[in-house]
Amino acid sequence: MLTKNKLTTACLANATAAALLTLYSAGVLAKDYIVTTARPDVLFVVDAKERKVVKTHKIPNTSMGNSPITVVPSRDGKVAYIIHNRWETVSGIDLENGKEVFRAELSEGEDLRGKAVFAMDLSPDGKELAVFVNPTRLLPGEYQVLDPYIAIYRTDAGTDAKPERKLPSPRRVSTLAYSAKGDTLYTFSWEMLKLDPKTGAVKGQHPWRSWKEPNRGEPDTLAIWPQWEQTNIFATPYYKVATDKEAGDPAALRAGIWALDLEKDTVSFKEFEDASVVLFSSAVNPVRRNEVYTVYTQLTRTDMKTGKMDRVDLDHTYYDVNVSSDGSELYIGGTQGDIAVYDSKSLKRIGNIRTPGGGDQVLSSLRIFKR
Amino acid sequence: MKKKHMARGTGALVLVTGLAISAIGNPAHAALSGQALVNSKCATCHEAKTDQHWTRIGESRRTPEGWDMTVARMTFAHGVKLSSEERGAVVKYLADTYGLAPDETADHRYIIERTPSVVEHPESKPIGDTCARCHSYGRIAVQRRTEDDWRKLVHFHVGQFPAIEIQAGGRDRNWFEIATGDVAKELGKVYGYDTASWKQWQAQKHADASGVWRLVGNRPGVGAYEGKATIARTGDDRYSVAMVMRYENGSEESAKGSAIVYTGHEWRATLKQGGRDIHQVFSLGANGAELNGRWFEANNDAVGGTMRAVRADKGVPASVLSVQPAMVRAGMRTTLAINGVGLNGEVNLGRGVKVIKLVEQSAERIVAEVEVAKDVASSSRDVQVGRASGAGLLKLYKQIDYVKVLPQHPMARVGGNGGSQPKVPAQLEAIAWAAGPDGKPGTADDIRLGAVPAAWSVDNLNKMAAEMQDTKFAGRIEQTGLFVPNGAGPNAERKYKTNNAGELKVTATVKDGSRMVKASAPLIVTVQRFNDPPIR
Repeated sequence: MLTKNKLTTACLANATAAALLTLYSAGVLAKDYIVTTARPDVLFVVDAKERKVVKTHKIPNTSMGNSPITVVPSRDGKVAYIIHNRWETVSGIDLENGKEVFRAELSEGEDLRGKAVFAMDLSPDGKELAVFVNPTRLLPGEYQVLDPYIAIYRTDAGTDAKPERKLPSPRRVSTLAYSAKGDTLYTFSWEMLKLDPKTGAVKGQHPWRSWKEPNRGEPDTLAIWPQWEQTNIFATPYYKVATDKEAGDPAALRAGIWALDLEKDTVSFKEFEDASVVLFSSAVNPVRRNEVYTVYTQLTRTDMKTGKMDRVDLDHTYYDVNVSSDGSELYIGGTQGDIAVYDSKSLKRIGNIRTPGGGDQVLSSLRIFKR
Repeated sequence: MKKKHMARGTGALVLVTGLAISAIGNPAHAALSGQALVNSKCATCHEAKTDQHWTRIGESRRTPEGWDMTVARMTFAHGVKLSSEERGAVVKYLADTYGLAPDETADHRYIIERTPSVVEHPESKPIGDTCARCHSYGRIAVQRRTEDDWRKLVHFHVGQFPAIEIQAGGRDRNWFEIATGDVAKELGKVYGYDTASWKQWQAQKHADASGVWRLVGNRPGVGAYEGKATIARTGDDRYSVAMVMRYENGSEESAKGSAIVYTGHEWRATLKQGGRDIHQVFSLGANGAELNGRWFEANNDAVGGTMRAVRADKGVPASVLSVQPAMVRAGMRTTLAINGVGLNGEVNLGRGVKVIKLVEQSAERIVAEVEVAKDVASSSRDVQVGRASGAGLLKLYKQIDYVKVLPQHPMARVGGNGGSQPKVPAQLEAIAWAAGPDGKPGTADDIRLGAVPAAWSVDNLNKMAAEMQDTKFAGRIEQTGLFVPNGAGPNAERKYKTNNAGELKVTATVKDGSRMVKASAPLIVTVQRFNDPPIR
């Protein structure tokens, strides 16, 4: 639940945003906007309730052969940070006018190439951007993989941004997520590490690889979809082998949801079914916080308390899911230039938004901000 | 079948396929010095250590296709500018200087021959787990590198494709540590640079392929064939080829083209055969006395055939290559054709097979009327002509005890429909078997009789396939055993608007006298291979 203090802060932020920028919501009430990107270089801002794309911006100076990936909007809804250009550049795009207000080339000089593999987050105060970087030295005739690091940029560093500092990092990081207070940078590698965002010191961890349960193997998840902004709860579907079942038994692979509360620093999980469908990514309802939604070719709702599950088939495949601020609507996207809208209670389709241009979102994020 | 992750499809990589084929098969670059080109085009980054040894370049050995893929990558990723002629010359030089001896590719030729739907059995589990989760295992097994160079290859992979560490099969382990540690050591041990085979092959004088050749082979879906080829030298390791192929169904094809021999044995030819463009991927073996391999349609490599050719010049030792038909039922009287070279002398097919009369007799082909005794047991027979013998070429059988569908795990791919990739069909064969001397089918002494005509049908493989109506959407099978998949792309008529992928069960029904013998195989119709390099 939002604390009273949080709620006040959120309201203040919204009021400030509304006062300063009145393009999207001239009135007092903030509206939900979806921000996402699509092949090869397009950024969309969608008025969620109106089911309408209200802004289409080009991401400048990018590789046209790839799709942009992670998108992180600032909490005031002014700027979205995007990993693009063969994962070698992070740009901050002003959502109002499409201007590139921030740009960090992850490569340094001619021979040190940096690539960001999905993990990126913005500090809650919007001042710092954390990016997980895999550097490779391009030597004559060979590549030399160097230790990865987390680059911390000041968001006011402009279009020739250099890291303010670099934090040491383990390999294989798929998610970076700031705690609600901004004092912890959760770094999801083989374990969910808790780093000090100032120094990179490991303050602790939540077990992932070392998470033990009777009759269960190691958990597996691919957590590359940041979609926790409505709740401050990072949720990801996971699979575990049931070690007490024969291979081939439908019960030999179990599925569940693992969730980390970024405010309380607590973990919850619920194993809820024999793995029967593909589960790509999850988001928690900000109002009914026991409800988690997961998509792929089905939309699944899981009650994190009881494990009760409801499921509907979708009209095509979707990769990402997010929830409206009032918890009533689900926005699901990823493929076929189509964001579908579902009612979170009935799981019925109530609309859709076609993104222009024909490019798919692919592995882009689908994020929500209020203005 | 190893499940393959879908590779990213980039324009650059797709381009490689087309260029690679033309570079490998293009004989027009004889005049250029590959060594000089390596010095002028590659040595800026790959420092020359000795006369013929540059960093990295001198630390691995590959097939011509393997070198061509590397040179292509240097072009699109590192800006090396080479004309098609120059590229061909560089690849020729590298494959000759840093190639693989015949016995080093023998177990994995399917991967360079582009044999469809091969089920691989990785010789090394750590290598399989690390490399074959994305690549074929064969792709690794047709390379030789120093341990250090294998390790550098891991660095390249992580530098170029950093998601490798968070993909399935990567994220569940300390992938980089394992791949640069134990796996690089294992690669250096199992597929290391220095081998006795290579030393010996380098020291050996390589054969000239020119001459007259007698050939036999099988083209799944059409049948066995025999024929002749004339190969003439047109330059160093360069040849012209003219061929005639006569199929057992009476049809005939002629083919003309050109060939290059890499590494002293890797025969690559491009021909116009029966109106289609064909590639041959053969190995020139047995001291230049044999050519063996697979040929396939240039733009549809799922369709092709196997070939074995031996020299048919005057004075070559006699040999029996094939017999058509290769299987005869007990109690039958039939006409048999024996194909070979230097055929001379009495035809002997063993006890119970009587040669009634010779219809035709030459050094290359004998046609005889034969009668097989009723009481003859199902068996493999040597076909003897004078002193020449073809071991086990003729199969006699009482009945077809069972049938197998080949390939055992066929795969087809949707394609076309305006997309970048053509459909990939699956050519199936029904192979008849008879129980051996123990009378029990399914034991080690069973006799593989050969391909037989069948009535083909498809069904849904499982409950999910039935729900998704896969038989309706995935494709159709022709009575030659050719499964043709449907078009690519989302299909609005399907549930989930999904594409025309499907899980089918193909069944071959074979008539054996008054009996019907059936066999089935799972047929997976899957998505396009957007990145389809010369070695998958």
